[in-house]
Amino acid sequence: MDFILSSLIFTPLLAALAVMLVPGRLQLPIKGIALAGALLQMGLSLLLFLGFNGNSFADGQQGYQFVERLSWINFSLGSLGRFQIEYFVGVDGISVSMVLLTGIVGVIGVISSWTITQSVKGYFLLYLLLLTSVMGCFLALDFFLFYLFFEFMLLPMYFLIGIWGGPKREYAAIKFFIYTLVGSLFILIAMIGLYTSVIDPQATALQLGLLEKGMQLTPEVLQQVQQMLQNKTIEAADMVRTFSIPAMMDGANFIPDSLLHTLSGYQLWNQPLRFIFFLLLFAGFAIKVPVVPVHTWLPDAHVEAPTPISVLLAAILLKVGGYGLIRIVYPVFPDAAAYFSTLVGGLGVLSIIYGALCALAMNDLKKLIAYSSVSHMGFVLLGVASMTTEGVNGAIYMMFSHGIISAMLFLLVGVIYDRTHNRLIQNFRGLANEMPVYTSFVVVAFFASLGLPGFSGFISELLVLLGSFSASEATGLLPRWMTVVAVIGLLLAAAYYLWALQRMFFGKYWIYTDLREKALVSDLNLREYLMLVPLAVLAVLFGIFPSLLLDKIGVAVSGFTKLVLVNGQEQLQGVLSSII
Amino acid sequence: MAGADALLPEFLLVLFFLLLVTLDLFRSATIKSMLPWLALTGFFASLVVQVLEGRLGQSPQFLNLLFSDGLAQYSGILFSLVGICTVLLSVLNKRLDELQKGRGEYYAFLLLLVLGLNLMAKSVNLLMLFLAIELVSIASYILTLTLKENKRSIEAGLKYILYGSLSAGVMLYGMSFLYGLTGTLNHTSEAFGLALLQANPLMVTVAAVLVFAGFLFKISAAPFHFWAPDVYQGAPMPVVALFSTGPKMAGILVILRFIAPFFATGPASAFPDVWLLLGILAIVTLVIGNFTALRQQTPRRLLAYSSVSHAGFLLAALLAVGTNYTSGVLFYLTVLLFMNFGIFLVLQLAEDEFKVTKLTDFHGLGRFYPFLGTMALVYLLSLTGLPPFAGFMGKLFIFTNLWEAYNHTNDTMLLVLLVSGILLTGVALFYYIKIPFYLFFKGNYREENLVISLSNKLLLALFGLPLLVLFFKPDLLTEWIERLLTSTF
Repeated sequence: MDFILSSLIFTPLLAALAVMLVPGRLQLPIKGIALAGALLQMGLSLLLFLGFNGNSFADGQQGYQFVERLSWINFSLGSLGRFQIEYFVGVDGISVSMVLLTGIVGVIGVISSWTITQSVKGYFLLYLLLLTSVMGCFLALDFFLFYLFFEFMLLPMYFLIGIWGGPKREYAAIKFFIYTLVGSLFILIAMIGLYTSVIDPQATALQLGLLEKGMQLTPEVLQQVQQMLQNKTIEAADMVRTFSIPAMMDGANFIPDSLLHTLSGYQLWNQPLRFIFFLLLFAGFAIKVPVVPVHTWLPDAHVEAPTPISVLLAAILLKVGGYGLIRIVYPVFPDAAAYFSTLVGGLGVLSIIYGALCALAMNDLKKLIAYSSVSHMGFVLLGVASMTTEGVNGAIYMMFSHGIISAMLFLLVGVIYDRTHNRLIQNFRGLANEMPVYTSFVVVAFFASLGLPGFSGFISELLVLLGSFSASEATGLLPRWMTVVAVIGLLLAAAYYLWALQRMFFGKYWIYTDLREKALVSDLNLREYLMLVPLAVLAVLFGIFPSLLLDKIGVAVSGFTKLVLVNGQEQLQGVLSSII
Repeated sequence: MAGADALLPEFLLVLFFLLLVTLDLFRSATIKSMLPWLALTGFFASLVVQVLEGRLGQSPQFLNLLFSDGLAQYSGILFSLVGICTVLLSVLNKRLDELQKGRGEYYAFLLLLVLGLNLMAKSVNLLMLFLAIELVSIASYILTLTLKENKRSIEAGLKYILYGSLSAGVMLYGMSFLYGLTGTLNHTSEAFGLALLQANPLMVTVAAVLVFAGFLFKISAAPFHFWAPDVYQGAPMPVVALFSTGPKMAGILVILRFIAPFFATGPASAFPDVWLLLGILAIVTLVIGNFTALRQQTPRRLLAYSSVSHAGFLLAALLAVGTNYTSGVLFYLTVLLFMNFGIFLVLQLAEDEFKVTKLTDFHGLGRFYPFLGTMALVYLLSLTGLPPFAGFMGKLFIFTNLWEAYNHTNDTMLLVLLVSGILLTGVALFYYIKIPFYLFFKGNYREENLVISLSNKLLLALFGLPLLVLFFKPDLLTEWIERLLTSTF
């Protein structure tokens, strides 16, 4: 278990290298290698999940598990101290569920890609690179490493949509690329500001000679370094600037004269700079989530992407946005998070309602599901904004559960599209008569997604709503009406799913004349069973036994919310008082 | 002469220049075919001499006109690399290969141009600086005109000469003002800085603006960038690659030395107008370069404007006063060298073998020749500044320095530079990605099955490798640069 995290990240990369060596006409070996790589990654993620100790909580210094920390780039900036980038990976309760999800969906995606015939080699090469970068994102604890993987997701995705996609694929690919790149540029600005302001206490202690080489940082030394830093008794040349996210989570690691220090009192456009940086980071991740009004790339990308890529996009790529909010934005800027909680929650509610209304209006089944993703991601935002234990648990649960269910939904759309090359709702009627098994899977997926008790969607929505409703008392961050409005989203979800079900699947069998000739409407085949059954089982399993997941994440989340709330109140007072 | 050994690289270049010109007189085909390799040997010799540490002194040489320090030594290494890359590209260039007359002159003037670049980086005297710049300019005019039967080449050369002589004249005018104001031509000396502070600030600003006309022309920064698209369109590809790196690097180093006395006491203290002017020029160059590139239809013009935008980045990098931005700038210049020679090699291949003259001509080439396509992608993404390529690291260092400087001075200009630089990267992606877009997404390449030669493939990989290495281990280079810079100061 020593290098399990690195193995998780680099298994697909090794598989990609192996694919590179196989000649392009040998399609089956290429697919086999890709499947083996994905299966191995899933096995490792399962092993990690089972081996993960759910009773620990990462407070910024301790508590991350399976940590691997190596110096990567380290050089002197002369009088400005040292510049340090580390290969720093680890898991805590927040990331462990995402790792498991990535493992599972990665395999499902390969199976779903089995029917790809056009340049198979290139396709699986890019697919495996994508898996590597997503996994890297979830495991990185160094901001630079995170950013590297975050940016590197764009490229494979761009080509996967642009070459293997539908009729408007080029437009969708460029739109996706530009949108997400702009988002990551916002993140880049914030990253530069942050790492120039934060020191790594351990490396600085080493530099000062307070620690021997190879010794671990003790709380006493940590306190000593931080006190020296805040009393300005450390020479600039001895400060080791760091990208480490855990170091950024502690306000005492900020250099006193830096603009991002809570007490710097520095304002830009009449706002404290820390607030502006919070908004920058938030905007960057919001594009990825996506949050209304920066969601417009999502329907295009989803509709044009081939089925397996839609699955990957909905199930794991969107989660990187929500994960980034929880991993980076909130703990690093808890003051601004408390200040802007209404904005974040409001955008969440807006996404819930707007996404649901759009879904209601769509006549393309894939677009309907794409907008339902927007709506569901709104719950994640609402849960995070509440900063209650239930809310954040719910948000993470929602990400996991939506990963499973949306993968299933997009696969189901793929099934009908493979057979008829069409997915407009009005072109079909009474499909239940011809494809009964397919229809039953659709019913399961739809009900799971709209939050019927017994499915994982229910647990997550319940937790988020509980959390956000209690937030007005417990944390004082969200007004009650937001929860009330968000509940309408559930109603709308029921409406668009049931209406689609009624229009497409019930009644007398009929399909649009033009489609009838080329269409070969047959029920599911073995490959499709292989993908859909495990996902359906997981949706039910996590709906009935939420403790499977909550036991692993619960302690970490409650510690996390406490940390953010306490630091938030303290730092917010500092920021506001230093302005006047 | 004292410290003459410090000028060894320059002597070597002159020696090989003379050798080349002499040998070019022989009519034997064997000797003619040896000329490129002779030039290559010359560049290698000057590279080796400069890489070996301890060979160079740090005292002023040649009647106090030149000065060798770590900065000059590192830039000399860069210029030798530029020369080597240009020769390699020229050897692989079909149209230069078919050239009957003037091949010897071409390589001779390459040597002369690199000599000029070396002198630019070393000169500490305004007059010497002017001579060095003119040496580079004259060699550039002739190199642009190498393909005489090409009408565009003639047009490009003429435009280049006209713009070039105008800006040189303006620069000389400004230099005369500076001499009058300070009484010394030695623009890095202490006396020069002190005299500047006592002179009339308005006059100093006017003189500085005039002098910058010449510098900005060399680095193709706005508003002196108009020659770039035409020259890039008309000149032979290796020469274009050379222009996008060599003179730009030298120009940046000259500006670096030149502005030091102006901002010795902080960014906006003594000469706020010069400061403001440079900042605005950097932003304008960035904006013009990036937005004009969006509308280009040919790869050569697109890269011309891309090189304008890189000039903007470099100008911005020079304004991070108070941080040790020199190593960041040198790192960026190094990366720029590999990126530009890489992408121009791709273009040269596409033009020579596949008759690509417009962006749309790339249709599907990348899918037919995956190696070429992938390498094009690597260079373009590095030019955009995306990880995992060294272009990202180069930009990261520049942005970091700008932020640091902003942190110290709270000068809003720096923040604007930083933010516009980062956001324009988004615009940059939009035009750079056009080439891969046509390479991979559009149409299918359907022509006779051509084979890309092994030497081309090797060279493509060779330019790409440093981009990856310098992303994953930038400290290898920065540590070395730092050592060079600090050991001699």
